[in-house]
Amino acid sequence: MSDAFINTLAVARLEWRRLVVRPLAWVLAALTLAWLAWNFTLLLGGFLAGQIQRAALPGGPGFTDLVAVPLLGQLAQLAFLVVPLLTMSAIAGDRRNGTLPLLFAAGVPASHIVLGRYLAVLAWLLLWLVLTLAMPLALAHATSLDWGKLAAAALGLTLMLAALAAVGVASSTFASHPAIAAAAALIIALALWGVNLGAQMAGINGGAINWLAMSTHLQPLLRGLVSTTDLLWFVLLVALALALATHRLGSDRERD
Amino acid sequence: MTPSIPVSPATILRLDQLSRRRAGRPAVRNLSLALQSGQVLGLLGVNGAGKSTTLSMIAGALRPDSGSIQLNGEDFLERPELARRLIGWLPERAPLWGELTVNEHLDAHGRLRGLNGAALRLARCAIVERLELQPLARRLAGVLSQGQRQRLGLACALLHRPALLVLDEPANALDPVQAAALRTLIREQSATGTAVILSTHLLTEVTAVCDRVAILHEGTLRHDGPIHSDDHAALERTFFEIAMHGTSDPARAA
Repeated sequence: MSDAFINTLAVARLEWRRLVVRPLAWVLAALTLAWLAWNFTLLLGGFLAGQIQRAALPGGPGFTDLVAVPLLGQLAQLAFLVVPLLTMSAIAGDRRNGTLPLLFAAGVPASHIVLGRYLAVLAWLLLWLVLTLAMPLALAHATSLDWGKLAAAALGLTLMLAALAAVGVASSTFASHPAIAAAAALIIALALWGVNLGAQMAGINGGAINWLAMSTHLQPLLRGLVSTTDLLWFVLLVALALALATHRLGSDRERD
Repeated sequence: MTPSIPVSPATILRLDQLSRRRAGRPAVRNLSLALQSGQVLGLLGVNGAGKSTTLSMIAGALRPDSGSIQLNGEDFLERPELARRLIGWLPERAPLWGELTVNEHLDAHGRLRGLNGAALRLARCAIVERLELQPLARRLAGVLSQGQRQRLGLACALLHRPALLVLDEPANALDPVQAAALRTLIREQSATGTAVILSTHLLTEVTAVCDRVAILHEGTLRHDGPIHSDDHAALERTFFEIAMHGTSDPARAA
């Protein structure tokens, strides 16, 4: 195994351990999953109540459109709050505790520290997504799921969580205090989501401003449309955020 | 009979013209020194003399503004990954991840230093036993007393059997019994060929365990020489002359 892999894995394991022993991650998981489960039952109730009317409309929206995808949409909304709270201590916490130099002194490069921390948070977020997906999937035997649409929506949510986690880790790298990191991550995420709101209100549906917005790239995926441009947008955002985080963390060894 | 040829111990560390500014002022200026395997160097100086900055640079936590660091004959600034196996560092106040237990700390440090599986378990058990950390093994680092934190930090520094041990005020918060145990430990490490740099405010610590002393003042090296256990009065005189006049040379001080 290469040193890069060993370093990244060691940092990821350390961060994962810190995540699972902190009450914050468990409280967030419990509250959000309870909220999502409650909403799942409401969506399911609505779906069952409207079954007779929909029987008269062949080809109309089904279980995936009316229950599974809206549930994932709610998870996307919660992610704007959950991800900054999870990532806020990723680097800023270490900087505050004085433990960051321990990683440098172990010969771990900044890129491996950032990547390790990012992967640990991402693993937690993917587990959160899987547990949410388990709710509609539990009824897969009794309903006719649109697997393609659900897979596209799950891919969209995965990419969105990956992008928000990268932004969160980058904010944590730049901030001196976890609370500042969380606030910065939330503001950046909201700005990325709604950067095109003004343009849309003016009736402009194309152009660079719309391309910049996260909503432009997530919504097609939630509708089941997978395009390379949308995937590329998320990949670019993740790469940019992690590169900025690495650059900032690397300069920590140079600074006071 | 083959005549015995004296073999000089290998130079594990060589600093050459090392400088670093902190908070807008020079913290360390043109520091040069070398350390052989098995040697114990005491680093003395008043607060703000540049001891912790020097040790942070040697440990790889801080990059110097200029100068070079040779670790085991290789350029440490070009290859910071050398720290992984060769250096063990106990920073001042022993920073720890408060949410991890003592055992989890040792495991995390071991993995960061390239230990895994059975090797990690063996190393952890050995250091836990040596530093008598068994009663604390499952306790969270966040609830440890300062002395216990210091012992855990020391265990993390020694876990991977480094060739160079960098200790920044290790006797802080230790009781007299623990301080005596620390001295024994440093002597043991030295006997196995580990070079030790010990920064301290306690002159008695230096005379008890070090075979060489370096005194920093305002970021520059003002004294570097051998020391013997019966040299306490001479060391004290030299230290105070440097602390008050910036030099140990009475003629220059006058």
